[in-house]
Amino acid sequence: MDQTTLVLALLPILIIQLALMIFALVDLIKNPNPNGPKWMWAVLIVVINIIGPILYFVIGRRNY
Amino acid sequence: MKQFSILMQKEWRENIRNYKIYWVPAIFILLGITEPVVNFFLPQILESSGGLPEGAVFEFPTPPPEQILTAVMEQFQTIGLAVLILAYMGTVAGERKSGTATLLYVRPLSFPAYFLSKWVMASAISLVSVWVGFLAGYYYTLLFFDRVEGMELFQMVGTYSIWVLLIVSIIVAASAAMPNGGLAAAVAFAIYLILQLTDGLFGAAWSISPVKLPQYAAAWLADSPDSGSLAGAIGITALIILALLVFGSWISWKNKAKTKV
Amino acid sequence: MSILVVEKLTKRYGQESAVEDLSFVLEKETATALIGPNGAGKTTSLSMLADLLSPSSGKITVAKGLTIGFLPQYPQFFPWLTALEFTEMAAKLSGIESKKARLQASRTLGFVGLESAMNKKTGTFSGGMKQRLGLAQAIVHQPKLLLLDEPISALDPTGRREIMDLLKALQQDTTILYSTHILNDAEEMTDQLLFMKGGRLIEQGSLNDVKNRHASPHIRIRFTNPYQAAEFAGRLTWEREIKGAVVFLPVYKNGPSMQQVLEVLASEKQDILGVDYQTASLEDIFLKVVAAK
Repeated sequence: MDQTTLVLALLPILIIQLALMIFALVDLIKNPNPNGPKWMWAVLIVVINIIGPILYFVIGRRNY
Repeated sequence: MKQFSILMQKEWRENIRNYKIYWVPAIFILLGITEPVVNFFLPQILESSGGLPEGAVFEFPTPPPEQILTAVMEQFQTIGLAVLILAYMGTVAGERKSGTATLLYVRPLSFPAYFLSKWVMASAISLVSVWVGFLAGYYYTLLFFDRVEGMELFQMVGTYSIWVLLIVSIIVAASAAMPNGGLAAAVAFAIYLILQLTDGLFGAAWSISPVKLPQYAAAWLADSPDSGSLAGAIGITALIILALLVFGSWISWKNKAKTKV
Repeated sequence: MSILVVEKLTKRYGQESAVEDLSFVLEKETATALIGPNGAGKTTSLSMLADLLSPSSGKITVAKGLTIGFLPQYPQFFPWLTALEFTEMAAKLSGIESKKARLQASRTLGFVGLESAMNKKTGTFSGGMKQRLGLAQAIVHQPKLLLLDEPISALDPTGRREIMDLLKALQQDTTILYSTHILNDAEEMTDQLLFMKGGRLIEQGSLNDVKNRHASPHIRIRFTNPYQAAEFAGRLTWEREIKGAVVFLPVYKNGPSMQQVLEVLASEKQDILGVDYQTASLEDIFLKVVAAK
């Protein structure tokens, strides 16, 4: 597989990952009462690609 | 109609502000991407992992692009369905359980408008998610494998969308009928299983069964499904959805006493 | 003019009855206090009047075109809406024209003292702010009848004072039915009292009626010692009660007036510590009535 194809393949994933991470982190900072410690969620969101932010939205954020 | 637009605005704000409008499509995009990527890298992964016996030479046939997209749809049928249940199991039940519904129910509320606003929002996000998921799958299939006719993809996604609407209708109606989100999820899942099971056991000849819609959707990629059967299945599904909308509106009204005061 | 008539209202859950045989009338632009211990059936009764619950039997008749505002004891809000967004939605759902709804909502929020928090998400609100917002959503459409479940119980004394003042202002042109267990406040704003216990109405009437029935005012004379009190009381023709050095004279029916008592005391040159009127508080009466039935 040539270089261009690889870039084309990875770019959308990268964009989604970044977008989700930023959304999740911004929300976490503003969240007064997340379901679990904040630092733990920050680590999960940053370390686990894509799944981390989604876990935060589904389980971690609670409605505030 | 006026109440419907007021309640739509509420649903819209909710789904933006709890980020559902972002993460539900994101999961479907992820599911759409996984299938072509895994298929593409599988031979390399197997080779490098050294799990093969010494000297064995395996020919990995390149799967046709149609097969990849059908596999994407199967992902949607399992994980995708679970995600939709998780996202919308509490859409009515949760409001009653937390008591936020009380201040709506004490007004001269039109329950059909109320239920419909829930259904429209859940349907819209689910459909958009499925569409962008297929689009992502299509893009990666194109990148790694081969082209699928745009028209065929369109017909497949269109047919599958009807099935998604049925699933969403079941989830939202279950949420209106059950006392909490967890039970609504259990009921929606049970109905899904019973439908699959019944069709699998006795339904060989039921060509217009809604459960066959995903098969018909996949059939567009091969040649095309039997148009009579497809039309019949769509017609039946539309009737069931309509019945679920009526039932959902009624049971929302019936259950208004169960809101926490 | 009555705007709401409740006849033999009953709510049963299986064998348990939460409200039994409740009957009363709400007159236009009056305040009615629904008083009772926990589990008396106050919330169930209000829920039936707000059309959240359907009665097992009995009848609720409302005046034609009656609009209702309802404040639950613990109002819950969609945490992702701002106070203004929520109140505006509440106004529209209650039939206020879309164009006027926003203005009406922000005015109402100003009225309940949430002007500066209007654009904050309700998820960040404290208990007191939620109570105010709860009142705002109940009155935003200017209903003719307000049903309030413990509107002030969750507030601190300052907040309680402010909300009571708002309610009294509203009461000028609104009929109010509210439940409470803070009896001082009930005494302050009530044309009609309803005492509930175990789902039943055990006493009703105006504050004066109820007071006269259960604890008529007394004249209290405090003597220097019990012998003096007993000696004095022994010579009286009026109904009386002696407790140590204190003599109580009920003033109802054929009881004496303050002037008569003072004249007797003066003519006998009695050495006393003091004479005054004693009226029972609503709390005393409530405890007495609840204990009796």
